[in-house]
Amino acid sequence: MNCESSQIISSTLMGQSSQLEKRGRIFNIQRYSLNDGQGIRTVVFFKGCPLSCPWCSNPESRAFDVQLVKKQSRCIHCRECVLDRHDLSMDDKIEECPSGALEYLGKDMTVQEVLEEVEKDSVFYRTSGGGVTLSGGEVMAQAEFAIALAKELRTFGYPIAIETTGQCHLRHLLSIGKLCDEVLYDFKIMEAKRAKAVTGIDLSRVLSNFTALLEAGIKVIPRLPLIPGQTTDVLNVTRVLAFLEPFDIQEIHLLPFHQYGAGKYDNLNMAYAYSDVPTPSSDEIAAIKRWVESEGYRVVIGG
Amino acid sequence: MSTARIQQLKTDLFAAPREISLERALLYTESYQQTEGEPTIIRRAKATANVLDQVAIAIRKNELIAGNRTVKPRAGIVSPEMDPYWIAEELDTIHRRPQDNFKISPEDKKIYREQLLAYWQDRSMKDFINGRIPEEIKQASAQKIFSINQTDKGQGHIIIDYQRLLTRGLRKLIDELDTLAATQPENHFFQAVAILLKASARHIGRYEALARHEAQQQELLGKFNRAHELQRIADISAKIAFEAPQNFYEACQLFWYMNIILQYESNASSLSLGRFDQYMLPFYQASLDTGESKESLQELLESLWIKMNDIVLLRSTNSAKFFAGFPTGYTILLGGLNKTGHSAVNPLSSVCLEAYQSVRLPQPNLGVRVNELIDRPFLQKAAETIRMGTGIPQIFNDEVVVPAFLNRGVSLEDARDYSVVGCVELSIPGKTYGLHDIAMFNLLKVMELVLKRNKSNPQVSYEGLVAEIEADIRKYVELMVKGANICDIGHRDWAPVPLLSSFISDCIENAKDITEGGSRYNFSGVQGIGIANLSDSLYALRQYVFEEKRMAYTDFIAMLESNFEKPDGDKVRARLINRYSKYGNDVDEVDMIGTDLLGLFCKEVETYDNPRGGSFTPGSYTVSAHVPLGEVVGATPDGRYAGEQLADGGLSPMLGQDQLGPTAVLKSVSKLDNYLLSNGSLLNAKFSPGTLQGQQGINKLCDFLHAFMKLKIQHIQFNVLNSETLKKAQENPEDYAGLVVRVAGYSAFFVELSREIQDDIIRRTSHEL
Repeated sequence: MNCESSQIISSTLMGQSSQLEKRGRIFNIQRYSLNDGQGIRTVVFFKGCPLSCPWCSNPESRAFDVQLVKKQSRCIHCRECVLDRHDLSMDDKIEECPSGALEYLGKDMTVQEVLEEVEKDSVFYRTSGGGVTLSGGEVMAQAEFAIALAKELRTFGYPIAIETTGQCHLRHLLSIGKLCDEVLYDFKIMEAKRAKAVTGIDLSRVLSNFTALLEAGIKVIPRLPLIPGQTTDVLNVTRVLAFLEPFDIQEIHLLPFHQYGAGKYDNLNMAYAYSDVPTPSSDEIAAIKRWVESEGYRVVIGG
Repeated sequence: MSTARIQQLKTDLFAAPREISLERALLYTESYQQTEGEPTIIRRAKATANVLDQVAIAIRKNELIAGNRTVKPRAGIVSPEMDPYWIAEELDTIHRRPQDNFKISPEDKKIYREQLLAYWQDRSMKDFINGRIPEEIKQASAQKIFSINQTDKGQGHIIIDYQRLLTRGLRKLIDELDTLAATQPENHFFQAVAILLKASARHIGRYEALARHEAQQQELLGKFNRAHELQRIADISAKIAFEAPQNFYEACQLFWYMNIILQYESNASSLSLGRFDQYMLPFYQASLDTGESKESLQELLESLWIKMNDIVLLRSTNSAKFFAGFPTGYTILLGGLNKTGHSAVNPLSSVCLEAYQSVRLPQPNLGVRVNELIDRPFLQKAAETIRMGTGIPQIFNDEVVVPAFLNRGVSLEDARDYSVVGCVELSIPGKTYGLHDIAMFNLLKVMELVLKRNKSNPQVSYEGLVAEIEADIRKYVELMVKGANICDIGHRDWAPVPLLSSFISDCIENAKDITEGGSRYNFSGVQGIGIANLSDSLYALRQYVFEEKRMAYTDFIAMLESNFEKPDGDKVRARLINRYSKYGNDVDEVDMIGTDLLGLFCKEVETYDNPRGGSFTPGSYTVSAHVPLGEVVGATPDGRYAGEQLADGGLSPMLGQDQLGPTAVLKSVSKLDNYLLSNGSLLNAKFSPGTLQGQQGINKLCDFLHAFMKLKIQHIQFNVLNSETLKKAQENPEDYAGLVVRVAGYSAFFVELSREIQDDIIRRTSHEL
């Protein structure tokens, strides 16, 4: 029986209520995640991202605002859609939609609420060495909430991982890095001007933040999304490897571009620039893997 | 990779369509006609002995293990002494029925009607049972609230003490029984056992003669290799007809002969095999010690695995719906604990899985017992086998099953020795006659009747409905128990199984057949079905009608009775399905409804005794019964259409309703009091192959199983999704709404992806397998 978790949390953590009541905007909490760190994990997806990578597979993670979405696959096409009913507030419309096609993307949750949710799978973390991964969006765009959450998670003894682009204040990054067991750190386009133009990223900041994390003795795993025409060319991969060379890094994750996000753009009425871009072939992926391995790294495909 | 011989044996098995063979029935009847006036148990023994002495036997091309129930592979045999009627009614349709059909020739149909039906009419066990069942039980059964099983065939669902057979050998057993029969001449049981043990030795002797004859023929044809093999079969048969086996080949051969012989006696489903890796290990080791190669022993084992698919049970059309696809019940559990509570995994445990990986046929139905002490390499081997995607092995959890048996008064040593009969029914090998499949109880049907009965009740309340459901569960459990006990007595008076009994402790000491209560443990197992739909329905009903007051109760029931065909029915149904939490998502409010009602069912069941001095035990599993049990229930408040299937398995969530993945499913199941389900339970979990990739995937599955152990769930079986299931998900997205595509840093439901992307995933999936 596992239904007393909430009581346990509130009784053991009395006196820290202000931390527990901090709110963050989350768009999904996904249990049984196997590709976002060690073991069986729960991934907490933060909503909102300062970047605008055109290949993003989680377009719902980009806006900081809560968005209304109508999921076509769930819609049963009522004669009169609740959306057209002017007598209802938006909340009521969502409540009255029978199929659940209409929903808000993004939900404000307290640290306490997130803890209750992730605690549900604690038995799986314990047997697998898994834990909680903070992902996004960009987690560090909600730094204060993220740090408060990581601090509380720490007290449960779960391994914590964070996925970040490093696009944030170093002070925040260091404090969350120290709370985490590993930082999964994205490298994308390694040429500053193009990086800025395509994704909005400040490359020099990403690189200096990375260096600072390593200097602080924090375990960092570099990740390279394999985006055709953007990150997979010889020059770009060479630049990543050259940058990492001085550091004591054992493992690199390669994340092949995929099209699973395509349908989400439709639901959100967003334009998707990568709809016709083919996914990298297994040969291409294998070639890059061999190359990175030849530099002495352990390579994980898909994280 | 299996040898050419194994490939050929496997192909030959399925080369011709299945037929019905009347031979056993005719020989049995011939004897029975000559023994009028003798005690039933003696008549049955003589009839079975007549079959063993006369039935045509064959050794199939190139096989290493002899012993076939019928000359043609996979033939169905009839037992009109149990129930001559259903087959008479189905003679003209059985070749074209949708599930598990059989051919029968016009001549055989005539013989059946004129000789078998004519004799057994009014003389069968079915006649006795039908004559005794009172009207109220017939009515409840006709309303499909419960069904009483095994009124038309042998009980089966039992594991003999293989160690007794293999370590003592037939001669010692015959001598022992001869002595007992001589000193207690008034005891018919001992006489019957002696008749059958001697007939068993003679039957094996017939194989010796046949093998020698065929060896000579092969030699004349210049096929010296095969002649040599047949000679060896003859020599082994000659020896083990009386002596105890001394190596793996001899042990496998005696093991298989006795399985065939017991089939003739019972013609029942699930004469199961217990802990094969435990009782066979000394023989396997002996063969290795005398220099036989591991490969040659594996070929023997694979031959044996193939033979287990040669026996199929001929079921009535109705029974075949409940137990589709020939679950013959050659169930084996590997690993587990030894008598002192240590891990019992041994080298043969792994070899059994390897032989399965090579043969890949549904029988034997392999399972693995897991516990916190399990060796990692063996658990990994189990996980690798699971990854192949055939649902084998199923996994049983010692951490809950052992205490569940202690709670039923089983000794600690015996509890640690548990195994499984049939599909998932828990039993103590060689010591239990458990009628594990004697009845099924449709919990959802009870709810439906209560809801409808209150349609015009102005005082209707949620609490009132639940109280009434509880009262009805009690009332119908009592009736079901009465029916089961009548069936129990029917088997005692009409179908004793003395040979089988002689291999069950403590029948010899008690001088009684198992049907008379000779066994050490005497359970009657009954299954409570529909808990997922019941929880979902009551929760949705409470929210929709009583909390949110969206519709008056009377109108809501009218909506259900119309099968959502009234105006706005589709909207009502969509809300019921989508807007209220469902069992399988780790939501206490829903899950606890099931905990309470299944708990009540269990607690009620366990208060009843059977005529053999044992008690009733509850379980919760369906094989394919969730389809026919769904057919008889109208539309329900969980949004299920009338006649639609129930949740599969027994404890699985309703199709498409588990939206949060397998960890949440396990959490929901763990809230049920699984210790109470000592007759067994079944949970199907769906995994996508992507989650099981590489060594990492195997290890994560092993870790998942360790969490399963800690959650004290009894059983889990894995369906690894393949491209075929994903195509079904494209066609019926509702049924697969919870299927999540998992990629690093990304999440989405499969059914919400575009058709092209789905197609792409399907292509990748077929590639991965």
